[in-house]
Amino acid sequence: MPQALVGKEISMSALNTVLSFARQQAPQYQLQDRVQRQPGPVDLAIQRVGKTFQLAGENLNVLSDINLDIRSGEFISIVGASGCGKSTLLKLVAGLDTQYEGDIVYQGKRIEGTDLGRGIVFQEHRLFPWLTVEANIELAFSATNVSKPERRKRVQAQIDLVGLSGFEKAYPHQISGGMSQRVAIARALILRPQLLLLDEPFAALDALTRLKLQQELQRLWEHQGLTTILVTHDVEEAVFLGDQVVVMQSHPGRIKRIVPVSLPRPRIRTAPAFHAIRDDVLTDFV
Amino acid sequence: MSIGIRVALGINQADPVFRRRNQLRLVAFLSPLAFILLWWWVSRMEIFPTQLLVSPDAVLLAFLELLDSGELWEHLSVSLSRLGTGFLIGASSGLLFGILMALSRTIEDLFAPLFQALRQVPSIALIPIFILLFGIEEVFKVAIVVKAAFFTVALASYESTKGIPRHYFEVAQAYQLPARKLYTSVVIPAILLPVLTGFRIAFARSWTILVAAELLAADSGLGHMMQMGREMFRIDVVMVGVVLTGLIGFGIDRIFKWGEARLIPWRKA
Repeated sequence: MPQALVGKEISMSALNTVLSFARQQAPQYQLQDRVQRQPGPVDLAIQRVGKTFQLAGENLNVLSDINLDIRSGEFISIVGASGCGKSTLLKLVAGLDTQYEGDIVYQGKRIEGTDLGRGIVFQEHRLFPWLTVEANIELAFSATNVSKPERRKRVQAQIDLVGLSGFEKAYPHQISGGMSQRVAIARALILRPQLLLLDEPFAALDALTRLKLQQELQRLWEHQGLTTILVTHDVEEAVFLGDQVVVMQSHPGRIKRIVPVSLPRPRIRTAPAFHAIRDDVLTDFV
Repeated sequence: MSIGIRVALGINQADPVFRRRNQLRLVAFLSPLAFILLWWWVSRMEIFPTQLLVSPDAVLLAFLELLDSGELWEHLSVSLSRLGTGFLIGASSGLLFGILMALSRTIEDLFAPLFQALRQVPSIALIPIFILLFGIEEVFKVAIVVKAAFFTVALASYESTKGIPRHYFEVAQAYQLPARKLYTSVVIPAILLPVLTGFRIAFARSWTILVAAELLAADSGLGHMMQMGREMFRIDVVMVGVVLTGLIGFGIDRIFKWGEARLIPWRKA
Protein backbone atom coordinates (compact mmCIF):
# COMPACT_ATOMS: atom_id res chain seq x y z
CA MET A 1 0.00 0.00 0.00
CA PRO A 2 1.45 3.37 -0.94
CA GLN A 3 2.66 5.28 2.10
CA ALA A 4 1.36 8.62 0.79
CA LEU A 5 -2.23 7.37 0.76
CA VAL A 6 -2.05 6.12 4.33
CA GLY A 7 -0.81 9.48 5.51
CA LYS A 8 -3.57 11.30 3.65
CA GLU A 9 -6.29 9.26 5.29
CA ILE A 10 -4.93 9.95 8.72
CA SER A 11 -4.64 13.68 8.18
CA MET A 12 -8.19 13.90 6.73
CA SER A 13 -9.77 12.21 9.72
CA ALA A 14 -7.62 14.29 12.01
CA LEU A 15 -8.79 17.40 10.23
CA ASN A 16 -12.40 16.45 10.84
CA THR A 17 -11.74 15.85 14.52
CA VAL A 18 -10.19 19.26 14.91
CA LEU A 19 -12.95 20.88 12.90
CA SER A 20 -15.72 19.38 14.99
CA PHE A 21 -13.83 20.54 18.06
CA ALA A 22 -13.71 24.03 16.56
CA ARG A 23 -17.48 24.00 15.94
CA GLN A 24 -18.14 23.06 19.55
CA GLN A 25 -16.07 25.98 20.65
CA ALA A 26 -17.71 28.31 18.16
CA PRO A 27 -20.31 30.06 20.36
CA GLN A 28 -17.61 31.10 22.79
CA TYR A 29 -15.54 32.61 19.99
CA GLN A 30 -18.52 34.48 18.59
CA LEU A 31 -19.11 36.02 21.98
CA GLN A 32 -15.58 37.33 21.97
CA ASP A 33 -16.04 38.49 18.39
CA ARG A 34 -18.71 40.93 19.48
CA VAL A 35 -16.41 42.66 21.94
CA GLN A 36 -13.54 42.66 19.44
CA ARG A 37 -12.06 46.12 19.05
CA GLN A 38 -12.13 48.09 15.85
CA PRO A 39 -8.75 48.39 14.09
CA GLY A 40 -6.91 51.22 15.79
CA PRO A 41 -4.45 53.78 14.46
CA VAL A 42 -1.44 52.78 12.37
CA ASP A 43 0.96 51.10 14.79
CA LEU A 44 3.70 50.03 12.43
CA ALA A 45 4.57 51.79 9.20
CA ILE A 46 6.92 50.09 6.75
CA GLN A 47 8.00 52.70 4.22
CA ARG A 48 10.02 52.08 1.05
CA VAL A 49 12.03 49.40 2.82
CA GLY A 50 14.80 47.64 0.92
CA LYS A 51 17.49 45.20 1.96
CA THR A 52 20.59 44.11 0.10
CA PHE A 53 22.97 41.34 1.09
CA GLN A 54 26.58 41.13 -0.01
CA LEU A 55 27.14 37.65 -1.34
CA ALA A 56 30.57 36.72 -2.75
CA GLY A 57 31.17 40.33 -3.82
CA GLU A 58 27.79 40.61 -5.51
CA ASN A 59 24.78 42.52 -4.32
CA LEU A 60 21.73 40.39 -3.68
CA ASN A 61 18.56 42.42 -3.48
CA VAL A 62 16.27 40.49 -1.12
CA LEU A 63 13.71 43.19 -0.36
CA SER A 64 12.66 46.03 -2.58
CA ASP A 65 10.25 48.91 -2.00
CA ILE A 66 8.13 47.36 0.73
CA ASN A 67 5.26 49.59 1.87
CA LEU A 68 2.85 48.37 4.51
CA ASP A 69 0.76 49.99 7.23
CA ILE A 70 -0.30 47.81 10.12
CA ARG A 71 -3.01 49.02 12.47
CA SER A 72 -3.12 48.38 16.16
CA GLY A 73 -4.83 45.08 16.97
CA GLU A 74 -4.63 43.76 13.42
CA PHE A 75 -3.54 40.27 12.44
CA ILE A 76 -1.42 40.39 9.29
CA SER A 77 -0.35 37.24 7.47
CA ILE A 78 2.55 37.43 5.06
CA VAL A 79 2.75 34.55 2.58
CA GLY A 80 5.37 33.84 -0.02
CA ALA A 81 7.56 31.12 -1.42
CA SER A 82 10.84 30.43 0.35
CA GLY A 83 13.46 33.01 -0.55
CA CYS A 84 11.01 35.88 -1.04
CA GLY A 85 12.49 37.77 1.91
CA LYS A 86 9.51 37.47 4.23
CA SER A 87 11.62 36.24 7.16
CA THR A 88 14.17 38.97 6.47
CA LEU A 89 11.38 41.55 6.67
CA LEU A 90 10.27 40.15 10.02
CA LYS A 91 13.83 40.31 11.34
CA LEU A 92 13.99 43.97 10.39
CA VAL A 93 10.74 44.66 12.23
CA ALA A 94 12.07 42.75 15.26
CA GLY A 95 15.16 44.96 15.21
CA LEU A 96 17.53 41.99 14.97
CA ASP A 97 18.99 43.51 11.80
CA THR A 98 19.22 47.29 11.58
CA GLN A 99 21.00 47.58 8.23
CA TYR A 100 18.22 48.46 5.79
CA GLU A 101 17.06 51.19 3.45
CA GLY A 102 13.86 53.12 4.01
CA ASP A 103 12.06 53.43 7.33
CA ILE A 104 10.26 51.08 9.66
CA VAL A 105 8.42 53.24 12.15
CA TYR A 106 6.92 51.62 15.21
CA GLN A 107 4.77 53.77 17.48
CA GLY A 108 6.29 56.90 16.02
CA LYS A 109 9.94 55.84 16.29
CA ARG A 110 12.25 54.39 13.63
CA ILE A 111 13.35 50.87 14.59
CA GLU A 112 17.03 50.87 15.53
CA GLY A 113 17.24 47.70 17.60
CA THR A 114 15.28 45.12 19.51
CA ASP A 115 12.55 46.16 21.92
CA LEU A 116 10.96 44.21 24.76
CA GLY A 117 7.60 45.51 23.52
CA ARG A 118 7.97 43.41 20.37
CA GLY A 119 7.92 39.66 20.97
CA ILE A 120 9.19 37.18 18.41
CA VAL A 121 8.71 33.46 17.83
CA PHE A 122 11.01 31.67 15.39
CA GLN A 123 10.47 28.62 13.22
CA GLU A 124 12.58 26.55 15.59
CA HIS A 125 11.55 26.95 19.21
CA ARG A 126 15.03 28.21 20.17
CA LEU A 127 14.64 27.25 23.79
CA PHE A 128 17.86 26.77 25.70
CA PRO A 129 18.26 23.02 26.26
CA TRP A 130 19.92 23.56 29.66
CA LEU A 131 17.01 25.54 31.08
CA THR A 132 13.70 24.09 32.24
CA VAL A 133 10.44 25.24 30.71
CA GLU A 134 9.86 27.84 33.42
CA ALA A 135 13.48 29.03 33.41
CA ASN A 136 13.36 29.49 29.64
CA ILE A 137 10.30 31.70 29.97
CA GLU A 138 11.63 33.56 32.97
CA LEU A 139 14.81 34.42 31.06
CA ALA A 140 12.74 36.99 29.14
CA PHE A 141 12.61 39.12 32.32
CA SER A 142 16.42 39.47 32.46
CA ALA A 143 16.50 43.06 31.23
CA THR A 144 13.50 44.20 33.26
CA ASN A 145 13.18 45.18 36.91
CA VAL A 146 10.11 43.06 37.59
CA SER A 147 10.39 41.57 41.08
CA LYS A 148 11.19 37.91 41.58
CA PRO A 149 7.79 36.88 43.04
CA GLU A 150 6.01 38.80 40.30
CA ARG A 151 8.10 36.97 37.66
CA ARG A 152 7.20 33.63 39.20
CA LYS A 153 3.52 34.49 39.23
CA ARG A 154 3.44 35.66 35.64
CA VAL A 155 5.47 32.69 34.37
CA GLN A 156 3.05 30.29 36.05
CA ALA A 157 0.04 32.13 34.64
CA GLN A 158 1.56 32.09 31.14
CA ILE A 159 2.36 28.38 31.39
CA ASP A 160 -1.25 27.72 32.40
CA LEU A 161 -2.49 29.87 29.52
CA VAL A 162 -0.62 27.86 26.89
CA GLY A 163 -1.76 24.61 28.52
CA LEU A 164 1.54 23.34 29.88
CA SER A 165 0.74 23.10 33.60
CA GLY A 166 2.70 20.26 35.12
CA PHE A 167 5.64 20.65 32.73
CA GLU A 168 7.27 23.59 34.52
CA LYS A 169 10.36 21.61 35.51
CA ALA A 170 10.74 19.67 32.24
CA TYR A 171 13.72 20.22 29.96
CA PRO A 172 13.04 20.95 26.28
CA HIS A 173 14.26 17.51 25.17
CA GLN A 174 11.66 15.89 27.41
CA ILE A 175 8.68 17.54 25.71
CA SER A 176 7.35 17.35 22.14
CA GLY A 177 8.00 19.82 19.33
CA GLY A 178 4.50 21.26 19.64
CA MET A 179 4.90 21.78 23.38
CA SER A 180 8.30 23.40 22.85
CA GLN A 181 6.76 25.83 20.40
CA ARG A 182 4.08 26.67 22.97
CA VAL A 183 6.82 27.44 25.47
CA ALA A 184 8.43 29.69 22.85
CA ILE A 185 5.10 31.49 22.39
CA ALA A 186 4.75 31.82 26.17
CA ARG A 187 8.26 33.31 26.31
CA ALA A 188 7.36 35.80 23.59
CA LEU A 189 4.15 36.83 25.38
CA ILE A 190 5.40 36.96 28.97
CA LEU A 191 6.54 40.60 28.72
CA ARG A 192 3.07 41.53 27.39
CA PRO A 193 4.30 42.93 24.07
CA GLN A 194 1.98 45.01 21.94
CA LEU A 195 3.38 43.52 18.76
CA LEU A 196 3.90 39.80 18.23
CA LEU A 197 6.09 38.61 15.37
CA LEU A 198 5.83 35.00 14.23
CA ASP A 199 8.33 33.58 11.76
CA GLU A 200 6.80 30.37 10.37
CA PRO A 201 6.17 29.24 13.94
CA PHE A 202 4.32 26.03 13.01
CA ALA A 203 6.25 25.00 9.89
CA ALA A 204 8.27 22.32 11.67
CA LEU A 205 5.26 20.71 13.36
CA ASP A 206 3.06 17.84 12.23
CA ALA A 207 -0.30 18.64 10.61
CA LEU A 208 -2.39 17.86 13.68
CA THR A 209 -0.35 19.90 16.10
CA ARG A 210 -0.24 22.73 13.59
CA LEU A 211 -4.05 22.93 13.40
CA LYS A 212 -4.31 22.89 17.15
CA LEU A 213 -1.72 25.61 17.65
CA GLN A 214 -3.33 27.78 14.97
CA GLN A 215 -6.52 27.69 17.02
CA GLU A 216 -4.65 28.47 20.19
CA LEU A 217 -2.85 31.36 18.55
CA GLN A 218 -6.18 32.82 17.47
CA ARG A 219 -7.45 32.49 21.03
CA LEU A 220 -4.36 34.21 22.45
CA TRP A 221 -4.60 36.99 19.89
CA GLU A 222 -8.24 37.67 20.74
CA HIS A 223 -7.57 37.37 24.44
CA GLN A 224 -4.61 39.75 24.60
CA GLY A 225 -5.43 42.34 21.96
CA LEU A 226 -2.12 41.94 20.20
CA THR A 227 -1.04 43.34 16.91
CA THR A 228 0.35 40.29 15.15
CA ILE A 229 2.45 39.67 12.06
CA LEU A 230 2.63 36.04 10.94
CA VAL A 231 5.08 35.00 8.26
CA THR A 232 4.19 31.67 6.66
CA HIS A 233 4.29 29.68 3.43
CA ASP A 234 1.04 27.95 4.32
CA VAL A 235 -1.75 29.79 2.46
CA GLU A 236 -4.53 28.13 4.45
CA GLU A 237 -2.89 29.16 7.70
CA ALA A 238 -2.54 32.72 6.43
CA VAL A 239 -6.21 32.94 5.46
CA PHE A 240 -7.41 31.18 8.62
CA LEU A 241 -5.67 33.65 10.91
CA GLY A 242 -5.16 36.93 9.06
CA ASP A 243 -7.30 40.07 8.78
CA GLN A 244 -5.23 40.70 5.70
CA VAL A 245 -3.00 38.41 3.68
CA VAL A 246 0.06 40.07 2.21
CA VAL A 247 1.26 38.12 -0.82
CA MET A 248 4.97 38.42 -1.57
CA GLN A 249 6.96 37.74 -4.71
CA SER A 250 10.60 36.78 -5.08
CA HIS A 251 13.69 38.26 -6.80
CA PRO A 252 13.65 40.83 -5.43
CA GLY A 253 11.25 40.29 -2.53
CA ARG A 254 8.32 42.66 -2.95
CA ILE A 255 4.63 42.86 -2.15
CA LYS A 256 2.47 41.58 -4.98
CA ARG A 257 -0.89 42.38 -3.47
CA ILE A 258 -2.84 42.50 -0.23
CA VAL A 259 -5.96 40.33 0.14
CA PRO A 260 -8.42 41.33 2.86
CA VAL A 261 -10.12 38.47 4.69
CA SER A 262 -13.44 39.72 6.01
CA LEU A 263 -14.80 36.37 7.17
CA PRO A 264 -16.12 36.18 10.75
CA ARG A 265 -14.03 34.30 13.28
CA PRO A 266 -13.50 31.50 13.92
CA ARG A 267 -13.23 30.70 10.27
CA ILE A 268 -14.57 27.42 8.97
CA ARG A 269 -11.94 25.81 6.79
CA THR A 270 -14.54 23.85 4.83
CA ALA A 271 -16.76 26.86 4.08
CA PRO A 272 -17.03 27.90 0.40
CA ALA A 273 -16.18 31.52 1.23
CA PHE A 274 -12.98 30.37 2.94
CA HIS A 275 -12.08 28.22 -0.06
CA ALA A 276 -12.70 31.09 -2.43
CA ILE A 277 -10.20 33.33 -0.67
CA ARG A 278 -7.66 30.55 -0.24
CA ASP A 279 -7.89 29.56 -3.91
CA ASP A 280 -7.61 33.17 -4.93
CA VAL A 281 -4.37 33.57 -2.99
CA LEU A 282 -3.08 30.24 -4.29
CA THR A 283 -3.38 31.45 -7.89
CA ASP A 284 -0.42 33.68 -7.14
CA PHE A 285 1.78 30.64 -6.62
CA VAL A 286 0.58 27.98 -9.07
CA MET B 1 5.06 2.91 9.75
CA SER B 2 6.77 0.13 11.67
CA ILE B 3 10.12 1.79 11.09
CA GLY B 4 8.74 4.94 12.66
CA ILE B 5 7.52 2.98 15.67
CA ARG B 6 10.85 1.27 16.09
CA VAL B 7 12.64 4.61 15.93
CA ALA B 8 10.24 6.00 18.51
CA LEU B 9 10.85 3.04 20.80
CA GLY B 10 14.58 3.41 20.29
CA ILE B 11 14.39 6.96 21.53
CA ASN B 12 12.47 5.89 24.62
CA GLN B 13 14.96 3.16 25.41
CA ALA B 14 17.97 5.37 24.86
CA ASP B 15 17.95 6.75 28.38
CA PRO B 16 18.61 3.50 30.35
CA VAL B 17 21.17 2.47 27.72
CA PHE B 18 23.03 5.68 28.35
CA ARG B 19 22.95 5.18 32.10
CA ARG B 20 24.18 1.63 31.75
CA ARG B 21 27.02 2.78 29.54
CA ASN B 22 28.15 5.11 32.29
CA GLN B 23 28.31 2.37 34.91
CA LEU B 24 30.91 -0.35 34.97
CA ARG B 25 29.28 -3.75 34.82
CA LEU B 26 30.83 -7.00 35.92
CA VAL B 27 31.94 -7.98 32.40
CA ALA B 28 34.07 -4.83 32.35
CA PHE B 29 36.46 -6.58 34.71
CA LEU B 30 36.86 -9.60 32.44
CA SER B 31 39.44 -8.14 30.08
CA PRO B 32 41.76 -6.74 32.80
CA LEU B 33 41.54 -10.08 34.59
CA ALA B 34 42.39 -11.96 31.40
CA PHE B 35 45.27 -9.59 30.82
CA ILE B 36 46.73 -10.21 34.31
CA LEU B 37 46.32 -13.95 33.83
CA LEU B 38 48.17 -13.75 30.49
CA TRP B 39 50.90 -11.66 32.12
CA TRP B 40 51.18 -14.15 34.98
CA TRP B 41 51.29 -17.10 32.53
CA VAL B 42 53.94 -15.49 30.28
CA SER B 43 56.15 -14.72 33.27
CA ARG B 44 55.68 -18.29 34.58
CA MET B 45 56.72 -19.74 31.21
CA GLU B 46 59.94 -17.70 31.45
CA ILE B 47 59.76 -16.62 27.80
CA PHE B 48 61.59 -13.48 28.90
CA PRO B 49 64.29 -13.43 31.61
CA THR B 50 62.64 -13.20 35.04
CA GLN B 51 64.63 -10.06 35.88
CA LEU B 52 62.99 -8.30 32.93
CA LEU B 53 59.42 -9.52 33.08
CA VAL B 54 58.41 -9.83 36.71
CA SER B 55 55.21 -11.64 37.62
CA PRO B 56 52.08 -9.82 38.84
CA ASP B 57 52.41 -11.24 42.33
CA ALA B 58 55.98 -9.87 42.59
CA VAL B 59 54.63 -6.46 41.59
CA LEU B 60 51.96 -6.72 44.26
CA LEU B 61 54.62 -7.58 46.85
CA ALA B 62 56.72 -4.61 45.77
CA PHE B 63 53.66 -2.41 45.99
CA LEU B 64 52.93 -3.51 49.57
CA GLU B 65 56.56 -3.02 50.49
CA LEU B 66 56.62 0.52 49.07
CA LEU B 67 53.31 1.27 50.76
CA ASP B 68 54.59 -0.02 54.06
CA SER B 69 57.78 2.03 54.02
CA GLY B 70 55.82 5.18 53.18
CA GLU B 71 58.03 5.74 50.16
CA LEU B 72 55.19 5.28 47.68
CA TRP B 73 52.93 7.79 49.37
CA GLU B 74 55.75 10.34 49.41
CA HIS B 75 56.34 10.05 45.65
CA LEU B 76 52.67 9.90 44.87
CA SER B 77 51.74 12.99 46.87
CA VAL B 78 54.53 14.99 45.22
CA SER B 79 53.37 13.91 41.75
CA LEU B 80 49.73 14.60 42.46
CA SER B 81 50.39 18.04 43.91
CA ARG B 82 52.43 18.98 40.82
CA LEU B 83 49.64 17.68 38.63
CA GLY B 84 46.95 19.50 40.62
CA THR B 85 48.75 22.85 40.65
CA GLY B 86 49.73 22.71 36.99
CA PHE B 87 46.36 21.49 35.80
CA LEU B 88 44.46 24.09 37.80
CA ILE B 89 46.54 26.96 36.44
CA GLY B 90 46.66 25.63 32.88
CA ALA B 91 43.01 24.61 32.57
CA SER B 92 41.51 27.75 34.13
CA SER B 93 43.67 30.15 32.12
CA GLY B 94 43.08 28.08 29.00
CA LEU B 95 39.32 28.18 29.54
CA LEU B 96 39.30 31.95 29.91
CA PHE B 97 41.67 32.54 27.01
CA GLY B 98 39.69 30.26 24.69
CA ILE B 99 36.39 32.03 25.39
CA LEU B 100 37.93 35.48 25.00
CA MET B 101 39.64 34.54 21.76
CA ALA B 102 36.34 33.23 20.37
CA LEU B 103 34.27 36.26 21.39
CA SER B 104 36.71 39.10 20.72
CA ARG B 105 37.74 39.72 17.16
CA THR B 106 40.79 41.72 18.28
CA ILE B 107 42.13 39.02 20.58
CA GLU B 108 41.52 36.43 17.89
CA ASP B 109 43.39 38.45 15.26
CA LEU B 110 46.25 39.06 17.66
CA PHE B 111 46.77 35.59 19.10
CA ALA B 112 45.08 32.93 16.98
CA PRO B 113 47.98 32.25 14.55
CA LEU B 114 50.55 32.09 17.35
CA PHE B 115 48.24 29.92 19.40
CA GLN B 116 47.57 27.53 16.55
CA ALA B 117 51.30 27.18 15.83
CA LEU B 118 52.37 26.74 19.45
CA ARG B 119 49.77 24.13 20.23
CA GLN B 120 51.25 21.90 17.52
CA VAL B 121 54.54 21.65 19.42
CA PRO B 122 54.48 18.42 21.44
CA SER B 123 54.92 19.07 25.14
CA ILE B 124 57.67 16.47 25.29
CA ALA B 125 59.74 18.45 22.79
CA LEU B 126 59.65 21.38 25.17
CA ILE B 127 61.11 19.48 28.11
CA PRO B 128 64.78 20.35 27.28
CA ILE B 129 64.00 24.05 26.80
CA PHE B 130 61.88 24.16 29.95
CA ILE B 131 64.74 22.57 31.90
CA LEU B 132 67.12 25.26 30.61
CA LEU B 133 64.62 28.01 31.42
CA PHE B 134 63.20 26.85 34.74
CA GLY B 135 65.89 24.49 36.03
CA ILE B 136 65.08 20.95 37.10
CA GLU B 137 63.19 21.96 40.21
CA GLU B 138 59.43 22.16 40.81
CA VAL B 139 58.79 25.12 38.50
CA PHE B 140 59.81 23.14 35.44
CA LYS B 141 57.48 20.24 36.18
CA VAL B 142 54.52 22.46 36.99
CA ALA B 143 55.24 24.55 33.88
CA ILE B 144 55.17 21.55 31.57
CA VAL B 145 51.82 20.47 33.04
CA VAL B 146 50.49 24.02 32.64
CA LYS B 147 51.52 23.97 29.00
CA ALA B 148 49.88 20.63 28.31
CA ALA B 149 46.62 21.61 30.03
CA PHE B 150 46.44 25.19 28.76
CA PHE B 151 46.56 24.46 25.05
CA THR B 152 44.14 21.54 25.13
CA VAL B 153 41.53 23.36 27.22
CA ALA B 154 41.98 26.63 25.34
CA LEU B 155 41.39 24.86 22.03
CA ALA B 156 38.27 23.13 23.36
CA SER B 157 36.76 26.30 24.80
CA TYR B 158 37.72 28.37 21.73
CA GLU B 159 36.22 25.94 19.24
CA SER B 160 33.08 25.31 21.26
CA THR B 161 32.44 29.01 21.91
CA LYS B 162 32.85 29.65 18.19
CA GLY B 163 30.36 26.86 17.57
CA ILE B 164 27.54 28.30 19.69
CA PRO B 165 24.62 28.60 17.25
CA ARG B 166 23.90 32.16 16.10
CA HIS B 167 20.27 31.41 16.98
CA TYR B 168 21.10 31.57 20.65
CA PHE B 169 22.65 35.00 20.31
CA GLU B 170 19.59 36.22 18.41
CA VAL B 171 17.35 35.13 21.27
CA ALA B 172 19.72 36.87 23.69
CA GLN B 173 19.52 39.99 21.52
CA ALA B 174 15.72 39.89 21.32
CA TYR B 175 15.45 39.77 25.11
CA GLN B 176 18.35 42.20 25.57
CA LEU B 177 20.15 39.92 28.00
CA PRO B 178 22.67 41.79 30.16
CA ALA B 179 26.29 40.67 29.61
CA ARG B 180 26.52 38.75 32.87
CA LYS B 181 23.32 36.87 32.11
CA LEU B 182 24.56 36.17 28.59
CA TYR B 183 27.60 34.39 30.02
CA THR B 184 25.93 32.52 32.87
CA SER B 185 22.78 31.48 31.00
CA VAL B 186 23.97 31.07 27.42
CA VAL B 187 27.72 30.92 26.75
CA ILE B 188 28.91 28.77 29.66
CA PRO B 189 26.12 26.15 29.55
CA ALA B 190 26.48 25.95 25.75
CA ILE B 191 30.18 25.06 25.95
CA LEU B 192 30.10 23.02 29.15
CA LEU B 193 30.03 19.58 27.57
CA PRO B 194 32.82 20.07 24.98
CA VAL B 195 34.90 21.91 27.57
CA LEU B 196 34.55 19.05 30.05
CA THR B 197 35.70 16.67 27.31
CA GLY B 198 38.61 19.04 26.76
CA PHE B 199 39.36 18.85 30.49
CA ARG B 200 39.48 15.08 30.31
CA ILE B 201 41.86 15.04 27.36
CA ALA B 202 43.97 17.79 28.92
CA PHE B 203 44.16 15.85 32.14
CA ALA B 204 45.34 12.69 30.40
CA ARG B 205 48.01 14.68 28.56
CA SER B 206 49.11 16.50 31.71
CA TRP B 207 49.46 13.27 33.64
CA THR B 208 51.52 11.50 30.97
CA ILE B 209 53.79 14.47 30.36
CA LEU B 210 54.39 14.88 34.10
CA VAL B 211 55.42 11.25 34.52
CA ALA B 212 57.70 11.61 31.48
CA ALA B 213 59.28 14.77 32.91
CA GLU B 214 59.81 13.04 36.24
CA LEU B 215 61.46 10.12 34.47
CA LEU B 216 63.92 12.51 32.83
CA ALA B 217 64.73 14.91 35.62
CA ALA B 218 63.44 14.73 39.16
CA ASP B 219 64.40 13.78 42.66
CA SER B 220 60.91 12.79 43.70
CA GLY B 221 57.60 11.75 42.21
CA LEU B 222 56.17 8.62 40.63
CA GLY B 223 58.32 8.96 37.49
CA HIS B 224 61.43 9.37 39.58
CA MET B 225 60.53 6.27 41.59
CA MET B 226 60.31 4.30 38.34
CA GLN B 227 63.59 5.73 37.10
CA MET B 228 65.32 4.76 40.35
CA GLY B 229 63.82 1.29 40.13
CA ARG B 230 65.20 0.88 36.63
CA GLU B 231 68.66 2.01 37.68
CA MET B 232 68.67 -0.44 40.59
CA PHE B 233 67.27 -3.19 38.38
CA ARG B 234 64.11 -3.36 40.44
CA ILE B 235 61.69 -3.99 37.56
CA ASP B 236 58.98 -4.83 40.10
CA VAL B 237 59.18 -1.23 41.38
CA VAL B 238 59.04 0.07 37.80
CA MET B 239 55.95 -2.02 37.20
CA VAL B 240 54.29 -0.64 40.35
CA GLY B 241 54.77 2.80 38.82
CA VAL B 242 53.39 1.69 35.45
CA VAL B 243 50.28 0.14 36.97
CA LEU B 244 49.67 3.13 39.27
CA THR B 245 50.07 5.61 36.43
CA GLY B 246 47.41 3.76 34.50
CA LEU B 247 45.06 3.35 37.44
CA ILE B 248 45.30 6.99 38.53
CA GLY B 249 44.69 8.20 34.99
CA PHE B 250 41.72 5.89 34.67
CA GLY B 251 40.32 6.82 38.07
CA ILE B 252 40.44 10.56 37.50
CA ASP B 253 38.92 10.11 34.05
CA ARG B 254 36.01 8.30 35.69
CA ILE B 255 35.60 11.19 38.11
CA PHE B 256 35.39 13.61 35.18
CA LYS B 257 32.78 11.43 33.49
CA TRP B 258 30.79 11.21 36.68
CA GLY B 259 30.92 14.99 37.05
CA GLU B 260 29.82 15.36 33.45
CA ALA B 261 26.69 13.31 34.02
CA ARG B 262 25.83 15.22 37.20
CA LEU B 263 26.53 18.68 35.78
CA ILE B 264 24.57 18.16 32.59
CA PRO B 265 21.09 16.92 33.43
CA TRP B 266 19.73 18.24 30.10
CA ARG B 267 22.04 16.08 28.06
CA LYS B 268 20.20 13.79 25.67
CA ALA B 269 21.04 10.11 25.58
